[in-house]
Amino acid sequence: MKFEIARESLLKPLQQVIGAVERRQTLPALANVLIRATGDGLQLTATDLEIELQADVAVEVERPGETTVTARKLLDICRNLPTGASVGVELDGERVVVRCGRSRFTLVTLPAAEFPVVDEVQAQVEFQLGQAQLKRAIDRIGFAMAQQDVRYYLNGLLFELAGDRLRTVATDGHRLSMCEIRAELPGGEGQQVIVPRKGVIELARLLDPEADEAVTIRVGGNHIQVDIPGLRFTSKLIDGRFPDYTRVVPEGGAYEMRADRETLRQALARTSILSNEKYKGVRLALNGSGLSVQTHNPDQEEAEEEIEVEYAGEALEIGFNVVYLLDILGSIEGDTVQAQFNDSNSSCLITDVASDECRHVVMPMRL
Amino acid sequence: MNDRVRKIIHVDMDAFFASVEQRDDPSLRGVPLAVGGSPNGRGVVAAASYEAREYGVRSALPSARALRLCPDLVFVHPRFETYREVSRAIRAIFAAYSDRIEPLSLDEAYLDVSDSPCCEGSATRMAREIRERIRAELGLTASAGVSYNKFLAKLASDQDKPDGLFVIRPEAGEAFVQSLPVRRIHGIGPATTARMSALGIETGADLRAWSREALVERFGKAGERYYWLARGIDDRAVQSRRVRKSIGQENTFATDMTESADMQAELERLAGRVAERLEALEVIARTVTVKVRFADFSIVTRSWTAPGGLATLEDLRPLLGLLLERALPEHAAVRLLGVTVSNLEPREAHQPALWG
Repeated sequence: MKFEIARESLLKPLQQVIGAVERRQTLPALANVLIRATGDGLQLTATDLEIELQADVAVEVERPGETTVTARKLLDICRNLPTGASVGVELDGERVVVRCGRSRFTLVTLPAAEFPVVDEVQAQVEFQLGQAQLKRAIDRIGFAMAQQDVRYYLNGLLFELAGDRLRTVATDGHRLSMCEIRAELPGGEGQQVIVPRKGVIELARLLDPEADEAVTIRVGGNHIQVDIPGLRFTSKLIDGRFPDYTRVVPEGGAYEMRADRETLRQALARTSILSNEKYKGVRLALNGSGLSVQTHNPDQEEAEEEIEVEYAGEALEIGFNVVYLLDILGSIEGDTVQAQFNDSNSSCLITDVASDECRHVVMPMRL
Repeated sequence: MNDRVRKIIHVDMDAFFASVEQRDDPSLRGVPLAVGGSPNGRGVVAAASYEAREYGVRSALPSARALRLCPDLVFVHPRFETYREVSRAIRAIFAAYSDRIEPLSLDEAYLDVSDSPCCEGSATRMAREIRERIRAELGLTASAGVSYNKFLAKLASDQDKPDGLFVIRPEAGEAFVQSLPVRRIHGIGPATTARMSALGIETGADLRAWSREALVERFGKAGERYYWLARGIDDRAVQSRRVRKSIGQENTFATDMTESADMQAELERLAGRVAERLEALEVIARTVTVKVRFADFSIVTRSWTAPGGLATLEDLRPLLGLLLERALPEHAAVRLLGVTVSNLEPREAHQPALWG
């Protein structure tokens, strides 16, 4: 195996696939990146056995071949080479030699045959979607996914295909966010798949919101595969049933508050500094058009801020995990947010007044 | 067993939640009052004022049924935050007398004052002072029982309730138990009461007539305990919260239970008591365990650990059925059900779940 490539042409795909490489691996080969050099160019693959990332690079290959080297070291070498430099890569026996100007690096290899790759995904459903659309459907609500929860099916994002729309849902059991985008979906009515958290985060990182090209999404029995120009993302699916989210998304509420998103966000960000570090509670006291945002902590420190809101309901105090509110306000793009609720013990629905794309549900906290 | 005579005080607030509500809202004074869920839903009475108790309204009664018993019954929603605050203030009073305090719920606690230098060591005077301070500082009444162990101190606080103080001196303890119906003896529930009744044991005196061997033969390890209690002897220590690792409630049935709806209801009742103690100890639990003992005496337990923490009956309720389902084979006859929570942590705030 031998090829010559511009530093940037090698650095970019390495940065794209490195996300799959875990810092601590269960198999030595999983620390490595698989390099395949063929007449068509170069293909780089990394995996953690749950997700697989594959990048294609157009480059003239002098001598085809394949091998694996430590991904992080190769990436660090590339990153530290001078901009615009030309890099020579050659497999020499059981070593890979990387040459650039007057630098020379010799890396150990593991045979390509020992590198685990996913078998061909048998697609049950295949459809196309705008790259930016898919990224939105993840980014707008991904923050609500659970992390290392015993209810393993919450540690991921639900994709639900429903005729003319794609719905994504994330929840950690205490809050839930969902996003709905219009899309031409072939059949697969009501089909639900759960993509694990790490896969979701890597997929979102690979999608380019500026790109016009559509991506091809293939859903198989155990895998989801997304073909992005120059890249292929494959992830195992979580084998479990997502809870019935329709049960916990309120239709509305007896009371409705509207507030300027940025004003509210800043008030919460400031007062959150003095909230209890473990529970992150914030108390919202509504009275007429005044909203008082209050926090305190075990050291008896207190923060309070008053803001103007639109509110016609009766005086009400309601507690929340301030992180949940900040996550939502950070995701909403419109200038005005709306919160609908019934009382201080029932779930609260938060939406962007200007868009019905996303709905956020938060269970209040008892403080 | 420690041969030095201990001094234990049991303090029990009178109709606690209801009294706090009546204290804070004069319009509720003198009227039959229930603190708890709305009678329109599945709510239950958490506490009833003495006026309401005259109609037979008591805690754990479904609110709708309570309203039928007493059509003038006034319902208010519980304000646990306030009760916890009052409870903390009560405990601060206790702390002036002893650091060995075992809260049983928000309104009830044992104090071991054996080593207390207060009131020249007189537990009776301490109990009197505690009651006076609760009245003066908090505007509430409490009943107190003083004796040489937890079993008798608790019986004593019940003796002159409400607003009473009763002392069972060491020399009177054994005699006090003789006249008691056995169901009032600690650890003897409806199932055991029925079995004892079948053996002709109705009172403490009847129980005392049985030998230790005979009681152990019929009631197992518990028989040993009944033997000592019948003699006014109880060596359980007052446990302050530091040592507590779990909170559990269980019940053995007079007749085996076979309907899963009955089992679910019983688990909810037990979980309600567990939740009260979580409340009282100001802790949340990470783990809940359901225990089932079948008619053949085999035991199955099933646990679940919830990362968000478990603090209330609402948190526990959806898990109970799930765990019960995993523990039960088809057509099971169940003789005992238990609910235990463990992995306890201090409660500063609590995040309830969306589902549940």
